[in-house]
Amino acid sequence: MTTQTSGDVAQEPRRVTLRSVLNNAGIGLALLALILFFAVFTEHFLTPNNITNILTQITINLILAVGMTFVILIGGIDLSVGSVMAFAAVVAGKAITLPGFGPVEAIALAIVAATLIGVLCGMFNGVISAYWSLPSFIITLGMLNIARGAALHVSDAQTIYSFPLAFEDFGSAMIYGVPVVFMVAVVLVLIAWFILNFTVFGRLLYGIGNNEEAVRLAGHSVYWYKVAAFTICGLTAGIAAVVYMARLNISSPIAGIGFELNAIAAVIIGGTSLSGGRGSVIGTLLGAFIIGVLANGLILIGLSDFMRQMITGVVIIIAVVLDYYRAKYTAS
Amino acid sequence: MAATPVSVAPAPDPQEAFLNVEGVRKYFGGVKALDGVSFSLVKGEAHALVGENGAGKSTLIKILSGVYPYDAGDIFLGGAAYKPANPHEAKESGIQVVHQEFNLLDHLSIAENISIERLPKTRYGLLDKAEMNRRAREALDAIGLSDIDVRSPVSSLGIAHRQLVEIARALQSKSQILILDEPTATLTERETKRLFEIVENIKAEGVTIVFVSHHLDEVFALCDRVTVFRNGKTIATDQIADMTPEKVVQRMVGRHLEAQMTDATKEQCYGEVALKVVDMCTAANSKDKGISFDLRYGEILGIAGLVGAGRTEILRGIFGIDPIRSGSVYRDGKEVRFKGPKDAIVSGIGFVTEDRKDEGLILDMPIAANVSLVNLMEVATSGIIQFAAENKQAREGGARLKLKYGKTADPASSLSGGNQQKVVLAKWLARNPKVLLLDEPTRGVDVGAKAEIYSILKDLAREGVALLVVSSEMPELMTLADRILVLAEHEVQGELQRNEFSEENILKLAYGQHQ
Repeated sequence: MTTQTSGDVAQEPRRVTLRSVLNNAGIGLALLALILFFAVFTEHFLTPNNITNILTQITINLILAVGMTFVILIGGIDLSVGSVMAFAAVVAGKAITLPGFGPVEAIALAIVAATLIGVLCGMFNGVISAYWSLPSFIITLGMLNIARGAALHVSDAQTIYSFPLAFEDFGSAMIYGVPVVFMVAVVLVLIAWFILNFTVFGRLLYGIGNNEEAVRLAGHSVYWYKVAAFTICGLTAGIAAVVYMARLNISSPIAGIGFELNAIAAVIIGGTSLSGGRGSVIGTLLGAFIIGVLANGLILIGLSDFMRQMITGVVIIIAVVLDYYRAKYTAS
Repeated sequence: MAATPVSVAPAPDPQEAFLNVEGVRKYFGGVKALDGVSFSLVKGEAHALVGENGAGKSTLIKILSGVYPYDAGDIFLGGAAYKPANPHEAKESGIQVVHQEFNLLDHLSIAENISIERLPKTRYGLLDKAEMNRRAREALDAIGLSDIDVRSPVSSLGIAHRQLVEIARALQSKSQILILDEPTATLTERETKRLFEIVENIKAEGVTIVFVSHHLDEVFALCDRVTVFRNGKTIATDQIADMTPEKVVQRMVGRHLEAQMTDATKEQCYGEVALKVVDMCTAANSKDKGISFDLRYGEILGIAGLVGAGRTEILRGIFGIDPIRSGSVYRDGKEVRFKGPKDAIVSGIGFVTEDRKDEGLILDMPIAANVSLVNLMEVATSGIIQFAAENKQAREGGARLKLKYGKTADPASSLSGGNQQKVVLAKWLARNPKVLLLDEPTRGVDVGAKAEIYSILKDLAREGVALLVVSSEMPELMTLADRILVLAEHEVQGELQRNEFSEENILKLAYGQHQ
């Protein structure tokens, strides 16, 4: 603490982002090291085709992880996003295959249906857990089952297919080798970054994660902010459902099993604290990349998928241990 | 396994001290918690520790029970140096504490709670329930609770019985010294009497009792000797027989502080009644009689009382944090019923809470973000924060309060206690409150910053803000307040005008020693 008395006029105004960049430097370096490692030890890692592959592979996890970041920042968790995504995809699949609509109307209907389902499920999670101050772990575990059951029920456990061609085209479209769906995910990251760093809403989400009581005593309605965070998480599950349908041209009621865990892993590896209040969506972006690069690179190197899974697990644990030390040093 | 005292006890002489505390000091960072504490315990006596809030009693107990190490001085137990590394070692040495707050596991049985530190095992390493229940039975019988089933869960017991189960647990391990920290705080009169009978019996068996209490009548009813604490020091130890409650109060206060009537002659002209509270009962107050007072613009009203007298609850009730059970609050003559802090803030009230870390500040967030927390909409346009405006607000607030800081972007945790408290004040002042509630406004703040905060608060009053200040520090109230209400057990015991201010008068009312 310096003893300069209130004289600083010109200074960078965005402490939160500056700090998150510093925090993310470590994650960025880890990602860079991984990329270098695989570039040196495999032949095909840095080829355009493989890069396109990686971007495609991480897209859905990244979209889910963006919403998950909001929930984890307020100290919550959402275990239901994988199931909600499947439920949204099945309902949207029903909508898109309704007879009597042109392709544009059908696609629009599907997008509305998927996002609406996502928003409603997320809002449900938020209202129940915030109103009664119940652990979101339990509530969203319930929603995980509700949404999965609903997906199976609505689809009669059948996979839905034969979507309009324009939809498939969107799913496989590339611009300079970058999948359009990945660009959608990056746009979501940027929107989330803006919300979290530049709006009153975002500021209060960080505040709630750090010290809910202080925010409440400052006259803010903690309840609505919590509901909003869960609703955003549901919304991204709905968007992920649309991307999933466009990429695979099917809606399966058993899609997305375990996706919630990958999304949580991306957020945690990205440096967001599970206890809330600290972290950034840029970190989440890097976290999703680390998981994707590991998955791709380890297979290129010749390891089995089982080994890949083990190593991803180790990385999650390392990330959390590092986070423990980071929290300890920033506290002292 | 019976507890074996580690001390090599000399031939027991009942008159000889067997615990000696000599010049013990304890610091937390730069803060002196204990600044030379000396006293001794004689076998089989009941020894009272009294003093104002924060005088050092609790710290000493935590040292004796192995929670904190001490920094200087000596403690001898039975002639050997005593320096417990952890609570377990303290217990092994025969020092048991029954804490103010309960340490029971609600959903486990009474027997399990009593044996939790040393659960009996069968030959096969399984829990020996029969033995556990037998021991618990014995422990409860020893304190006269033969009518209670040891297998029932603790959650089925009333508060008084829980207290007794704690005592039974403490006694189970063959204690030499039993420390009771405010044991009667939650008990009714009848339960207190029962507790005292039990304590007398324990004492008769040769256990030494250390009794910490705010209630002097209890001290005089139960104890043989009394040691008075003040500002982290022990003042004196006396035989109860030689003392009167008045003398003890005098010792607690000392003659060091004649009330600072700096501007007692100040011409007082207050405005209209800003806040009127009529017969307000908070949820924590189980009595029928509520609290009533008027607070005028430009006035500083102090609220004194011991911990647990219901001071903070009044502020929380007014501010709409906790529901009010009965009674009413008027703001500018109109009855109001705040559903939450938001309503209170809209009506022009601010609340500087007691606990900076838990309620006041978001420590990891920048100073600017903390200052703008109440007033975010003022520094934002259509929900987007204008960082320039936010920083300006923080700098202006900082300048007004002489805040010492590096950058407004530094986290609040980088500041000293006094400057953190100024950030909390700046947060509320950014909103230009008409009524400001303050709970322990200078807790953990160094002397220099204290004086600055006092002058800020007085300036606010001069500008016409109505201030309601709760404080445990009597010099603080006597410096700041125009009037002081003294509370005890959720009741107004009396009101003191400036010319009646003295620590003695406040304490007499706070301890219920009516004139």
